[in-house]
Amino acid sequence: MFRSLKFLFLTIIVVFNLLLSAEYQVDHSRENVVKFISHAPMDDFEGVTDKIDGYIYWEGDNLLNKSDMYFEVDLNSIDTGIGLRNRHMRDNYLETDQYPYTHFKGKLTKAEKVSENEYKVTAEGKMYIHGVEKDITVEGNMTALDSSYHITTQFVTALSDYKIKIPQLMFFKINENMQLELDFYVKKIEKN
Amino acid sequence: MKSRLFMVILLGGFFLISVLSFPGFTQNPNISWKRSSPETQPDLQLFHSPHSIDLPTATTLQKWDVEFEISHRFIPPTSVGINGFYGLDGPVNMRIALGLALNNRSIITLGRSNFNDNIDLTLKYKIFEIRNNALPVLIAARAGGAWNSNPAYIQIIGRDKTNSRNFQAFGQVILNTMIRNKLGIGVVPSYLYNTDIRFEDKTKDTFRLGLNAQYYVGQFWSLLIEYTPYISGYRSLIEQKHNPLSFGIELETGGHFFKIFLSNSKFLNSSQFLAGADLPVENNDWRLGFMITRLLKFGKKI
Repeated sequence: MFRSLKFLFLTIIVVFNLLLSAEYQVDHSRENVVKFISHAPMDDFEGVTDKIDGYIYWEGDNLLNKSDMYFEVDLNSIDTGIGLRNRHMRDNYLETDQYPYTHFKGKLTKAEKVSENEYKVTAEGKMYIHGVEKDITVEGNMTALDSSYHITTQFVTALSDYKIKIPQLMFFKINENMQLELDFYVKKIEKN
Repeated sequence: MKSRLFMVILLGGFFLISVLSFPGFTQNPNISWKRSSPETQPDLQLFHSPHSIDLPTATTLQKWDVEFEISHRFIPPTSVGINGFYGLDGPVNMRIALGLALNNRSIITLGRSNFNDNIDLTLKYKIFEIRNNALPVLIAARAGGAWNSNPAYIQIIGRDKTNSRNFQAFGQVILNTMIRNKLGIGVVPSYLYNTDIRFEDKTKDTFRLGLNAQYYVGQFWSLLIEYTPYISGYRSLIEQKHNPLSFGIELETGGHFFKIFLSNSKFLNSSQFLAGADLPVENNDWRLGFMITRLLKFGKKI
């Protein structure tokens, strides 16, 4: 009898913990956009992809409680509009044969409710590009929808921080600073 | 005693759940996420440019890429010296062309050379690829037709411009490989129909074997050479009796390729180049030439 009560009690704790936790994964059925924008005098361009994947996790009602997030972008999928430029970006700058993904792993550290469904959030964590990991802080917006969130953020990253060499031949083709814009959706994963 | 044991188990359970839920833990057991799709595989491309000098490579463009080409071949050989500025004073044979990638595998190109006002329409299609780290292979086919819309030959003055004898056709199979991402090698068996448009009685055909190599010295420049020996069929014994040989350098930057080279041929369009070159290499007579291609994208600016 006593043993059964113990089992029941522990089961309740585990189930309660799972019920309170919320894992949201990138919703691939929505229109997700990741842009890498280079402003250069001779050749402005955008690299665009929808190949973002990952999750954001927290427990309870507080977005910061046990917050965890991981998002990655498939760099081989970036399209700058011209095949040759894609190839240059893959082969000469990002070296995607060695580093096919870029990712951010971190957690929410601030979440300020700015309207009924919208939060202004701050995430801190490690950005991984081109084999180099660097601590960064990113600000963005999370808008609650039915069972999903719409996440937007934009920030600038210096390519030299990630040991990406900018060739200085003939034309300065890529700006040292690359602007990243992310606009994507995550949906809640139902636990079985 | 039993209740103390129960408390230990309870606290242990809490501890275990808390530790496993800690975000810094590499694998949070509460998270079920797994990568949803495999890594994107870009199309295999070996040579950087779709062209060697006169021979094609198996490289294709991205769907709806547009390629503009302008090529010059200075007719006076470099042996004219400084008085003719090594041939740069001209005159020149030139070609302009516009190519459109119908999809990631095929390019249709319309070009014109001022020699005989030769207008050609070609289609290149990437047939097959073998992804192999040591020896990747691309195989493509290229076929085209050419109309010599205003032949300059004295023998056929007065012939109607649309006479069927003014039309030529050609086909090429392009086999490319790349060694250590540095040395591109191409073999291009080529067939030309109606090699010499001056013949009135019957058409003559020519087979040649195009061979080309390109060594990528750095990210943006490379050395290239091509040789297209005669194999069988018709061969002119007077004007185009030599095997075309060209060599030079290529610069690439952004969407441009710029080639500057020496060649024993004055011909730029395929139906003319495949007939043969006009200068003997033994005399060390070469022509200066260049080719500039620029990739463009119409519509959405990206």
